[in-house]
Amino acid sequence: MKTRKKSRLGKPGIVSEISFYIILGLFCAACIIPFIFVVIISFSSEESIRAIGYSFRPIKWSTGAYQYVFQLGDQLWRSYFNSFFVTIVGTVTSLLMTIMYSYALFRKDFKYRNFFTFFAFFTTLFGGGLVPTFMVCKQLLHLSNNYAALIVPALISPFNIIIMRTFFSSSIPTELIEAAAIDGSGEYRTLFGIIIPIAKPGIATVGLLTALSYWNEWFLAMLYIKDSKYIPLQYLLMKMQNQADFLFKNASVIGVEASKMLRDLPSASLRMALVVFIVVPIAFAYPFFQRYIISGLTIGSVKG
Amino acid sequence: MANSKTQKKSSSARRQLKKNLILLTMVLPTAIWLILLRYLPMFGITIAFKDYKIYTKAPGLINNIIHSKWVKFDNFKFLFATTDSLKMIRNTVGYNLLWIFLGLVISVSFAIILNEITNKFVAKTYQTLMFFPYFISWVVVSYFVMALLDPTNGLIVKWQIRNFGEATNWYHTSQPWPVILTLANLWKNTGYSCILYLTAITGIDKTLYEAASIDGATKWQQVKYVTLPNLRTMIAILLIMNISKIFNSDFGLFWNVPLASGSILDVTQTIDTYVYRSLAATGGNLGMTTAAGVFQNVVGFVCMLLANSVVKRIDAESSLF
Amino acid sequence: MKKIVALLLVACMIIGSFTACGKNNGGNGTDANGRPKDHVTLKMYFHGSNVSDDKKVLEEVNKYLDEKLNVTLEPIWGTWGDFDTNAVLAINGNDDVDIYFTCSWSADEYNLFAKRGAWVRLDNPENNLLEKYGKEVWNLLPDVLTTGAKIEGSDGFGVYAVPGYKDIACQLCWDINVPLLEKYGYTVDDIKKTDYYGFGEILAKVKAGEGENFYPLLIEGAVAERMVDNSIIVAGDSGSTNLLSYYINPTKTSDKGAYGDVILNKFATDEYKKFVTKTREYFLKGYIDPGLANAEQANNLRSEKQLTGQYLIGTQSYSLGYETQASAERGFQVAFVGTTPAYVDTTSSQGAMMAISTASKNPERAMMFLNLLNTDPYLFTLLDYGVEGVHYTKNDIGEVEFIENERAKYSPWTNGMGNVTLLPPQKGQGADFWTKFKAYYGAADRIPILGFTFNSDPVSNELAAVANAAAEYALTLSVGAVDPEQVLPAFLKKLNDNGMQKIIDEANAQLQNFLKNK
Repeated sequence: MKTRKKSRLGKPGIVSEISFYIILGLFCAACIIPFIFVVIISFSSEESIRAIGYSFRPIKWSTGAYQYVFQLGDQLWRSYFNSFFVTIVGTVTSLLMTIMYSYALFRKDFKYRNFFTFFAFFTTLFGGGLVPTFMVCKQLLHLSNNYAALIVPALISPFNIIIMRTFFSSSIPTELIEAAAIDGSGEYRTLFGIIIPIAKPGIATVGLLTALSYWNEWFLAMLYIKDSKYIPLQYLLMKMQNQADFLFKNASVIGVEASKMLRDLPSASLRMALVVFIVVPIAFAYPFFQRYIISGLTIGSVKG
Repeated sequence: MANSKTQKKSSSARRQLKKNLILLTMVLPTAIWLILLRYLPMFGITIAFKDYKIYTKAPGLINNIIHSKWVKFDNFKFLFATTDSLKMIRNTVGYNLLWIFLGLVISVSFAIILNEITNKFVAKTYQTLMFFPYFISWVVVSYFVMALLDPTNGLIVKWQIRNFGEATNWYHTSQPWPVILTLANLWKNTGYSCILYLTAITGIDKTLYEAASIDGATKWQQVKYVTLPNLRTMIAILLIMNISKIFNSDFGLFWNVPLASGSILDVTQTIDTYVYRSLAATGGNLGMTTAAGVFQNVVGFVCMLLANSVVKRIDAESSLF
Repeated sequence: MKKIVALLLVACMIIGSFTACGKNNGGNGTDANGRPKDHVTLKMYFHGSNVSDDKKVLEEVNKYLDEKLNVTLEPIWGTWGDFDTNAVLAINGNDDVDIYFTCSWSADEYNLFAKRGAWVRLDNPENNLLEKYGKEVWNLLPDVLTTGAKIEGSDGFGVYAVPGYKDIACQLCWDINVPLLEKYGYTVDDIKKTDYYGFGEILAKVKAGEGENFYPLLIEGAVAERMVDNSIIVAGDSGSTNLLSYYINPTKTSDKGAYGDVILNKFATDEYKKFVTKTREYFLKGYIDPGLANAEQANNLRSEKQLTGQYLIGTQSYSLGYETQASAERGFQVAFVGTTPAYVDTTSSQGAMMAISTASKNPERAMMFLNLLNTDPYLFTLLDYGVEGVHYTKNDIGEVEFIENERAKYSPWTNGMGNVTLLPPQKGQGADFWTKFKAYYGAADRIPILGFTFNSDPVSNELAAVANAAAEYALTLSVGAVDPEQVLPAFLKKLNDNGMQKIIDEANAQLQNFLKNK
């Protein structure tokens, strides 16, 4: 069975196959063009941006932004490390908790199944709001200036729980669990030894979504992190962006100093260079998850 | 005989108990998290019905709430104080319905197409690219749109002037914006839901296709009778989830991409942008902020229950609970 | 199920732990030198700072503070981007911060949050902190600041924050690109001689000379409107787009303006109509960049063009010494032509303040600290400029020269900290800078309604609706992007439909009440 599998729907017609390539190709081009635009801005000179704004064809090119990024030095690599650390630890912990919770919800013979489903889903609809949540996190749980502050508040997404449960119920036959129980396998052993290997594509997908949201997260850092030691990459960028926005907006109130600070502010090209720094690792990390997601595709007809 | 029967029964009851206890331990970590980070702060909902003031004698969140005056629904009134209430609700709900529908059709078709592409390298590349928009903030998207539509330097504007001698005043003309916003939204979110459907497709039992193929089903018939029915749970779940957010809108999309331009507010004003402007004007009153959230959530909750019961009636297996 | 109930009970008990919180009456016992006996840590929230390494400064500061007040200072360096969200969150949630930056334009707005009970009233008759620990700073501040700081708050009419002594007057100016103006044979005097309605000829000539893609008139719509109509911002007005106008006297700002002491619907006056009609004419002739009509693009665009000199006449709020500074920053000569003399209004008198939080456990000590900070040149310079020899050096006439590398890691917002007149002058300002500063701002007249702040609480629903209506029209009208003949009547109708008149009536009733009690 090592030979290349044919598509499981039989060979699609050459015409439809080509049109598939084109339709998706166009959409993907639309996805990548704004990123190319970001890359172009990051290589545009500051004078060019000031003269003609953000443009696909800058008047003058410059690597100034990247030189500046590397001058950030310690802070840049520190933030890079923080982002990786938070994403990895966060994703693993989150996945573990999500898997266990949704597995219990998936089990039809679990007495409190409906209760806990609603218990999770209800929180997507009603929240206490920012102020009470902030106070609970900061004063009760002491989530302030530590890695936990970046990880714990984003651990659980009821959306992911529901999705995971759906994957379980669509890929795992109930008989399998019954069989395992008859064999005397403990609940945890059934989950980790039998279920998880089968549900790999679903777990990889939820893991991917979790990792992406951890990698993209900056609001938590803004709320809970004051010490630059813990600042993740995405917040380093948002901090610059927010500062620029604020100063532009309030230039007339703050007066003299605002224009001076605006001049000293990291330029737009620098902010775009940081976007590049943020996106590129994802392009490399993606295949890691994809291996498991796609694996479902290539296994073809050999199942069970 | 009777004795052994009851013994059997009680031993099976004990097994049941033990199983449920073990399953409870699986639920426990997340349940604790939900209690601490989601349920505990819910006392804050009462702020929506209060004139929130700091209790200066013994300040503290709880004390402030307890000692603030009840004002019933006063904090909600600003949502309906405008002559444009209907317009912003229409925009919020309208865009959401349209996008739920389009998102569903496009994501499912893309997932099926991706599954069909025989060259796995291309399929993988496409998938990776579809996630790029997720990382590009709406602010950056607004720069991109500006590069196309800017009244002096925009590429499209320049092209229009070259060919027609006159350009559309994009940021002050309402008609194109429903299309632009729709494209932007699909661009950003398709990758995300597409991968969910794609994973669901990979979970479908392959023997079903083989059987269909043996029966001589065409590819279209296979999609119709095998793929789609097997996707129904995922479709239903995402549908219910999206409907529960029907009164919410993506603030960055409606604010940054049209550059918060005033002249096109009739098609870009949503509940969220209205609330944002209102709070900026009145000084960020916590009661009003909370009230706006509670309003959106309650309506969302009702819609979600409705959607869930409809789904339950059609296909009990696919409903949320 | 029982387990869950038990968990919920535990959770409720944990909530209970939030509520307990008492006031510390520290500061009563002092030793022979007047240094309080018990040690206290003060947390202070700053705005607009850019600080990544404060270790050296804090070492010195805390050594000094320990000696003087037995206090350790723990600054929280808010930045421009995060202060608004975070400070408001901390205030509303009663986080354990002792002192907050506040002012008339930040999100933790002085008047609003005084009413909501966030600030300790400093001259509370029951515990007059100002009298007890703040006399020095209070006596040193100019009269306009102490007047402007007295407002209606949760504990009655009084002082709720210590105003910072910085550029306290407001003066709006035409910002002139001098080399470009002279290129076309004009001088700054030609601008001074005429007004907005007479700019046409100069603008036409420059536009013709510089070409299609050059827009000579770089205005911030709302600011230009105030300059041309001589109206000012009424403190407490809607934050995003101003709706209220109070007209001042352009030649003598302490006298009554054209309409007397009355607040008007900004968009309904004849002056406004005349202004937007002229602006429309300028717009159609291509003097104004159409990008200025897009809210999220305008500010950005204006700042960039100002910095690169792609304009002839712009709008700018002035402060002393800005001409030299702006010329140096932009690399060409800039001149400012004021439309009125400098004046003090409520907004400018509340430009930067420090308030003690009602959540503070040590308000007494916080007051002592604020008093010391605003009167002690050593402490203030240390906290603001850093350590001498590390962050800056002084030249022979006593001006400060920053050591760039270290200063980059420690740059708090100078004007946001308090009494900036305690600082040594910066390089280029001249040794007598603060004498000139005090003379310039001392001469500024106060407008007749200084100290008045509109309380929008009684009409917040109308204000919300009207502000949204204004967002639809005000900006485009004020830069001429739409035709006022058609749009202005529709705009006025929409304002009225949404309750504008109720807001105006409420504002005037409050103003009359204020004038009666003055």
